[in-house]
Amino acid sequence: MVDKGLERTIAERDHFEFLLKFLEESPYETSHLLIPLVKANLEHYKDTVRYIEEGKPIIASYFSNAPEIFTAMDIHWYCPVSAAFAGAGANPYLMNDLEGADKLAVSSDICTLLRMAMYYTEAGLLPRPTAIVGMIIPCDGIVALHEASRRSKQWRGIPMFAPDPPYFTDERSIDYFAQELRRMVDFLTEHTGQKLDIGRLREVVEVTNEQYKLWQEINELRRAVPCPFNWGVGGGPFALTQNRWVGDLRGLEWFKAALADSEKLVKAGKGWLENEKIRLLWFDVHPTWFFDLAPWLEEEWKAVIVMDMFSYCPYTLVDTSSEETMFHDLAKRNLMDTTMIRQAVGVADNFASDLVRIVKDYKIDCVVWPAHMGHKDGAASVGIMREICRDLGVPFLSIGIDTFDPRYTTPDEVKNTMSQFFTAMGLG
Amino acid sequence: METNLKSKAFQEFSNAAETLVNPVLQRWKDQGGKVVGYFCSTVPEEIITAAGLTPFRMRATGSTGTEESDAFYSSINCSFPRHCFNQVLTGDFKFLDGIVCVNSCDHVRRIYDNWKRFVPTDFIEMMSLPRKTGPDQVGWYTEELAMLKDKVGKHFGVEITDDRLWEAVKLHNETRRLQKKLYELRKQEKPPITGAETLAVMVAGTAMPKEQYNEKLRELLDELSGTEGPGGHRARLLIVGGILDDPAYIKVIEDQGGLVVTDSTCFGSRLMWVEVDENASDPISALAQYYLTDRPSCPRMYGEHDNRAQYVIDMCREFNCDGVIGERLIFCDSWLVEHYMLGQDLKAAGIPMLKLDREYLTSGIGQLRTRVQAFLETMGR
Repeated sequence: MVDKGLERTIAERDHFEFLLKFLEESPYETSHLLIPLVKANLEHYKDTVRYIEEGKPIIASYFSNAPEIFTAMDIHWYCPVSAAFAGAGANPYLMNDLEGADKLAVSSDICTLLRMAMYYTEAGLLPRPTAIVGMIIPCDGIVALHEASRRSKQWRGIPMFAPDPPYFTDERSIDYFAQELRRMVDFLTEHTGQKLDIGRLREVVEVTNEQYKLWQEINELRRAVPCPFNWGVGGGPFALTQNRWVGDLRGLEWFKAALADSEKLVKAGKGWLENEKIRLLWFDVHPTWFFDLAPWLEEEWKAVIVMDMFSYCPYTLVDTSSEETMFHDLAKRNLMDTTMIRQAVGVADNFASDLVRIVKDYKIDCVVWPAHMGHKDGAASVGIMREICRDLGVPFLSIGIDTFDPRYTTPDEVKNTMSQFFTAMGLG
Repeated sequence: METNLKSKAFQEFSNAAETLVNPVLQRWKDQGGKVVGYFCSTVPEEIITAAGLTPFRMRATGSTGTEESDAFYSSINCSFPRHCFNQVLTGDFKFLDGIVCVNSCDHVRRIYDNWKRFVPTDFIEMMSLPRKTGPDQVGWYTEELAMLKDKVGKHFGVEITDDRLWEAVKLHNETRRLQKKLYELRKQEKPPITGAETLAVMVAGTAMPKEQYNEKLRELLDELSGTEGPGGHRARLLIVGGILDDPAYIKVIEDQGGLVVTDSTCFGSRLMWVEVDENASDPISALAQYYLTDRPSCPRMYGEHDNRAQYVIDMCREFNCDGVIGERLIFCDSWLVEHYMLGQDLKAAGIPMLKLDREYLTSGIGQLRTRVQAFLETMGR
């Protein structure tokens, strides 16, 4: 019987081989930052194939589950939605995947990412994991996805644990989530046989701490006018702290290189873009078709994505002095820092205060809320965002897109909407 | 609502389901009584009752539009919070003396944020409801409830003692027993009360002081006991879904010949099928255990699908149902996937299921009729 999960993983691995070769043969300005990201992905897929072929335990998990713990336990894991997140550049099967998801008997008003994940599971396109660590945060849809995964034909019977996220971020909540992470460790040990070495966890966290420090420095430099940061590597910090090369020194090197690029431009009084005219806050994650939109924004409107949801986090540094402090701070980091989790979980004050701070600190000219069709808590917060921007005197645009499906609102339609907005607001 | 029941008690329930402030509630207010609104059936009414207040389950009955709330919500939001917040903005909920919210779903949880920011309110609280149902989560929710008890007591100047809480638990358990008796009558071949009428009774139970409600429900049960309905329906149905508080929706189904004899909804059987343990060591942990774990859950809770599906199958067998109608408010992720899975579970159990998407205000009646008729026909009825 054909193992479709293995087949697909091999195909994705081969695609990253191709991408790497292409980038190495056609160097351009940001190749030195993109190549390590592709290498990290390639290595990941190679390891996944090897683990499947050797019959070793593999975990399916998601971001915000303290990936430092996985690294410290020497557990290989993959994220079931990484292909959906990758976009057409890194996932040549994107349109087929979307069409496959469309065929599920599930209405399209649920987040496309979740429909795609259901499709990947039901179609057997994911490697069958030994166990699953779920993520039941920050939206209703993700909880539903996990219920569907549990009872799908392909994954039925696979043990699953999901840390329960409290709604608040006070000390009591952080302590509760830290206990959930401890229970996750017990679960992983039970199902993989791997044990957590606290000394190893400290080593890993010390590296991610350094990564977060550099990330903070990069973000500090993004305040500069003109902005030195390029949208194209915007997802890198997130990928390297929550997904690939977590706690790996090569990831640290990437942050150093990214920081050096920004420092060089700031020292020279230059921005990534010449004649920067519009400083834009893209208040969500990048859509997978951003490669179509962002260069156009730069060329047509001299608009720079100064800050976005992938990049903005408060950089909780983990106190490595004891096991207790590490679990406490990892809980805090994963409840309060992670992309989308920070903004969507909990009361609206969380994202509202970020919005105010970003607009002020980053000298933002306009705020764009892309309004991804799956972000329903955000859709229910649009009045709050609008009011904040009105108080700050910053134009606000809500579009209505699908982060994962360019057919929902096409890139051309988005461009048209943004052009009308910039023109009406006298920007650019 | 249109009904064949001659009962005066039922008429009061029916009126209560059709309005926000029913005469019983108005009398309570006129006598200086206070009312606290709450979102989601996971908020323990008992704590509110124990403070000498009347709990009021939030709904948007009587709403006609979302003109005011459209500036706060988007078109991809469920129509329940949009209508409900519209009524908040137009002042329809001024009769409330406080609000208790939980992070029930992505749409409704933002009512708390919008309400707090844009509508001055003396008492508005948010609780953190776990996504799982294990002992650790019961422990967490026990703490949440203890904090809520203290805040309610402090704000309304009442000491909510354990004795008062146990008294409230007993009172609410009595409500549950009475409501269950009403459901038991529906097991008859010719039930003396329809699904639409039952929903009116259930909705009224979330909008009246419990003593008066129980009294009237006893009256109704006495009247219905030993009687039977007209019969002649084409099929016996179970309805499963979330916030369904409009009897008119069920009436459309029943007018096609599909008698709704039971349900798994959050204004229906999930509210009362099991009781709070009156022998537990303390009332707050008993409430946490009940609301989080013991009662049938809704699909916002992780890891419980199999139990939820089993509950539906068991209810179908107990009430001798021919089929199931799953209703979902458009844009509700939780019920979308739940119905997707439940459809497979019911198929395996040999029970046909019709899935219906709807808006909060009953509309598209022609289409609803057609789909129900077609469903009944596919069942050979």
